[in-house]
Amino acid sequence: MNAQSPVRPGVLTGVRVLDFSWKTVGPWAPRLLTHYGAEVIHVERAGGYDDHRYNATPSIVSDEPKVAALPGTKKVYSDPQFNTLREEKAEAPGQKKLYAAPYFNTLHHGKLAISLNTRNPEGLKIVERLIGMCDALVENFSAEVLPNWGLTWERIHELNPRLVYMSLSGFGHTGDWKGYRSFGPTAAAQSGLSLASGLPGKPPAGWGFSYLDVMGGWMGGLALMQGLLQAKKTGKGFYIDYAVTEGAMSMLGTYMLDYQVNGRRTRRPDFPPGNRSIFPAIAPHNTYRCAGNDRNGQYWWVFIACETQPQFESLCTLMGQPGLALDPKFATNEARVANQDELDSIVGRWTRARRRYDIMRQCQAAGIISAVVQSAEDRVEYDSQLQHREMHPIINHPELGDCAYEGYPVKMSRTPAFVHGRAPMLGEHNSYVYGELLGMSAAEIAGLREREVI
Amino acid sequence: MSGVYADLTVVELADRRNQWAGKLLADGGARVIQIEPIAGSPGRWCGPFVKDNTDPDRCLDYWWNNTGKESVALDLKRKPAQDLLRKLLAHADVFLESTRPGTLAKLGLDYDAVATNRALIYASLTDFGQDGPWRDYQMNSAAHLALGGQMSSSGYSDPKVTPIGGQGHHAWQMGCAFVLHGITVALFDRMTSGEGQYIDVSIHDACAIGTEAAVPQWMYYGQTMYRQTGMHANPRRQPPLQLPTADGKYMIAVMQNFGPRVWERLIKWMDEKGVTGELHDAKYQDEAFRMSEYRTGTVIRDAIARLIAASNGEECFHRAQSYGISWGLVHAAEENYAIPHYQQRNYWRSIEHPEIDRAIPYPRGPVACDALQIEPRGRAPRLGEHTKQVLQQDLGLSDQDIASLTESGAIR
Repeated sequence: MNAQSPVRPGVLTGVRVLDFSWKTVGPWAPRLLTHYGAEVIHVERAGGYDDHRYNATPSIVSDEPKVAALPGTKKVYSDPQFNTLREEKAEAPGQKKLYAAPYFNTLHHGKLAISLNTRNPEGLKIVERLIGMCDALVENFSAEVLPNWGLTWERIHELNPRLVYMSLSGFGHTGDWKGYRSFGPTAAAQSGLSLASGLPGKPPAGWGFSYLDVMGGWMGGLALMQGLLQAKKTGKGFYIDYAVTEGAMSMLGTYMLDYQVNGRRTRRPDFPPGNRSIFPAIAPHNTYRCAGNDRNGQYWWVFIACETQPQFESLCTLMGQPGLALDPKFATNEARVANQDELDSIVGRWTRARRRYDIMRQCQAAGIISAVVQSAEDRVEYDSQLQHREMHPIINHPELGDCAYEGYPVKMSRTPAFVHGRAPMLGEHNSYVYGELLGMSAAEIAGLREREVI
Repeated sequence: MSGVYADLTVVELADRRNQWAGKLLADGGARVIQIEPIAGSPGRWCGPFVKDNTDPDRCLDYWWNNTGKESVALDLKRKPAQDLLRKLLAHADVFLESTRPGTLAKLGLDYDAVATNRALIYASLTDFGQDGPWRDYQMNSAAHLALGGQMSSSGYSDPKVTPIGGQGHHAWQMGCAFVLHGITVALFDRMTSGEGQYIDVSIHDACAIGTEAAVPQWMYYGQTMYRQTGMHANPRRQPPLQLPTADGKYMIAVMQNFGPRVWERLIKWMDEKGVTGELHDAKYQDEAFRMSEYRTGTVIRDAIARLIAASNGEECFHRAQSYGISWGLVHAAEENYAIPHYQQRNYWRSIEHPEIDRAIPYPRGPVACDALQIEPRGRAPRLGEHTKQVLQQDLGLSDQDIASLTESGAIR
């Protein structure tokens, strides 16, 4: 390829991915390839945009416009959950401008962005040409969308026999539920993950974010890498049907086997056990309230666990109560588990007046498992380990200036991974993709724009 | 063997942090030799056990996380055992280890010492990576959910109630996802370069980027999230989305757009249950008004809560989904076994277990893909089950060598 790629070179240089994903779990998966130098082309609909661009008020740039308030836009709201792909028909703001939402900017960093109208036959032709020059295609639409465009697996394979196509969905593209829709919380609920989080006798606590959009995206990214590896070995493309609920169930395998072998269910009165540990049963193993509270008035907490007898003895000494380790109620782990309500109150009384980072440092110095329950603020501002590992790099953005990002946690000695760029602006790489990659002239591109294809 | 990791030999130093990564390599067709201490991997001792009887060969958590591996039991405190591991690494493709930084250097088994095998991919998955001020902190998976931010966003709306981390080994699994990225990309590279490399993954780094919008929300707006029962943390308090059903379960009524067709069906359903309230009022026909009310008001939300309270969970899930509404029912993991959809997708893999004289259906894994073929292929090994075989066939030791090593306590 003669065209100069805007992407920083890496171990996946030369790999090109066509990315039709939106929301969260889809975008994460191909995003991971950008850390290795793959060219990931994020396709946004001409006249529309990935709604995560707008999922926050205020936007990074300014408080205006709230998309729902734009004249002529009937169905696009500043909050993404009200926008569905098929029903969204809003005009994009007049000039090319990025009203970047924080999460979009983080989630899509390092990608290229093009706009394309896939409902236009000319637009679909362009999709077919792009498929011909990509190594992988990722989408997280409903199962019927691509076939409705005429892009069945057979057609995709015919267009490019080497291409790996991965669909990413809640329930997969076969079976009774292939038409069912899912967001991260839907999948967490259905798989059993949500139920396995909470205090006994209380409603499920679940996960306070789309854990399956995050971890599901990472597993999806892994499947893509596995797909590229296999295609490199065999020279043949294939289809990967990735179902997020199926991935989630495979994170719960132990509980599945416990049910099969011992008949024990996760739907039972004493499960989940909050932050206590039942496999193995050890105590203390819990969160404890500390001095102070956060900006929203939520208490501060520290996690403490003793997995060994010496750890417990050290904790007793640290708390100034060495006699506890000799008390028959707490002398052995078995006794501590049996009396852990009382033990938890003792530890909680000790932590209550103390500062959380002091507790962690003191416990750790004594070899005891201990961790501050860190918020985002804590991790960004006070976590010296993350600072040392440079997990929040600063990258320049033409409109936003310097912005902090979340890093990528794989450090490789010979082919380093990197975080190489901000999120793209709307349609920013149209001229690279249509001009340089597809070889269209400026006049042709202008024509496409006029006919609202791009 | 077939599968994406076919023809690879992986040596895995047994540890609860990395065993799920080793499992996925084995599921993908690699030959994974797990080096265990003489007393067995820590993963064999956590439970649950078959019939709750403590037995390192009958730990279900170990069974799940070690499908298809081979077990070689070595006492790495002894020099002869260290030499055996060094010899295994001389011919391995991947080495997966989670020891405390510095441990293997003392044994002459750090990357520089074994990189004479130029093709070796040496992957360390540790709590904090190989450097940094917290490098030597003591952690477990739950502690990582605290430090990494998962707990801070999860729990209950009451600000006095503790944050919650989900049960399981989620932090370790998040680390495993990234170490597998590194290994897979390194294999991709090795096909052309012929060279392996060293990979350093920190579980804390992995967890710290795994809280969705929480960090960007802080970095860009300086906002702190409220924990909210059974739903996303948010900078503003919101009404509940996790709603009780008539049969004592919970629906997750994820917010989404209600277009005209969806709305019509939803209203009809509400009529049936007699919970529609004022939603027949003409103003709710206007989608912009409707969605704005749904987003900021209580009329639609309350009607949805009444609808769910008047319906059984399964009915609610299927009806909503058939109308194009993405609500989910809070299921228990084990309830998925009875769902025909997953059977139709050939999700369960039957694994024979002579220990209990029967086969158990194991979850397949995240992807359905014949070309990658990532699925459990056999049961986890018994402690030291393959020691003799590996030492004989891979390292060419004689019966006599093995007998004397066994006697000295270096192997089991």
